[in-house]
Amino acid sequence: MAPVKKTKKSTESINNRLALVMKSGKYTLGYKTVLKTLRNSKSKLVMISNNCPPLRKSEIEYYAMLAKIGVHHFNGNNVDLGTACGKYFRVCCLSIIDPGDSDIIKSLPGDQ
Amino acid sequence: MASFLIKSQNPTSSPFLLSPHPFIHSHLLQRRRHSQDSKMVKFLKPNKAVIVLNGRYAGRKAVIVQVLEGGNRDRPYGHCLVAGLAKYPKKVIRKDSAKKTAKKSRVKAFLKVVNFTHLMPTRYTLDVDLKDVVTADALSTRDKKVAACKETKKRLEERFKTGKNRWFFTKLRF
Repeated sequence: MAPVKKTKKSTESINNRLALVMKSGKYTLGYKTVLKTLRNSKSKLVMISNNCPPLRKSEIEYYAMLAKIGVHHFNGNNVDLGTACGKYFRVCCLSIIDPGDSDIIKSLPGDQ
Repeated sequence: MASFLIKSQNPTSSPFLLSPHPFIHSHLLQRRRHSQDSKMVKFLKPNKAVIVLNGRYAGRKAVIVQVLEGGNRDRPYGHCLVAGLAKYPKKVIRKDSAKKTAKKSRVKAFLKVVNFTHLMPTRYTLDVDLKDVVTADALSTRDKKVAACKETKKRLEERFKTGKNRWFFTKLRF
């Protein structure tokens, strides 16, 4: 794939879409629940922060490969991902079960 | 001038997304929606090769025989029946005599009910028919379990001797 320069605009749009999911959709935050949703295939998209430990990152990616679910590597660390979710704690990985009104599922997996 | 205005109103700023013709767009949306529905791929199914992560058999490879997705009253979590290799067959080389290969190809099997969180699924499968042998009933009493283990041992040894599923019968080094 040609290198996509992650401009400030597209990161903002991801944050906007994520905010819409938080407001209108269903999601879970955290490694244990992400694996749980991957196992029972309830997840539609998984997002991982960039400072996620590499073993955990590859484990989540492997599960997502088996379940054929898209993984998005968030352009920011767990602090930023937590902020993007509107939470006051760090979020290393999250799983979107139902996007609600957001089009994050349709637009992102091409973007990986 | 009108086309310029329409372009600037495009919500997505990514250069890769072209604005498609409206007819094609709805068709693509339909197909994408269908693919989204079929994206629900469950991978913890019978015949899936897994690695046990916890317990006495940690690090051993096993195959899922029966899945109890929702759990039952004794185990209110998703769990499954697995049949695995307690002792892997040793490495057989060409030089070995028939007696030696027979000894080296021996396998010890185990049967266990495992929580999904204590398994690491893999992309491999092992289609050995163990459904009639490994049942929840077989794990109830010790004699039944021993008999079921003996039968799975026999079937796994057969499979090893054919030379297929080599990944499953090699020990995971860690």
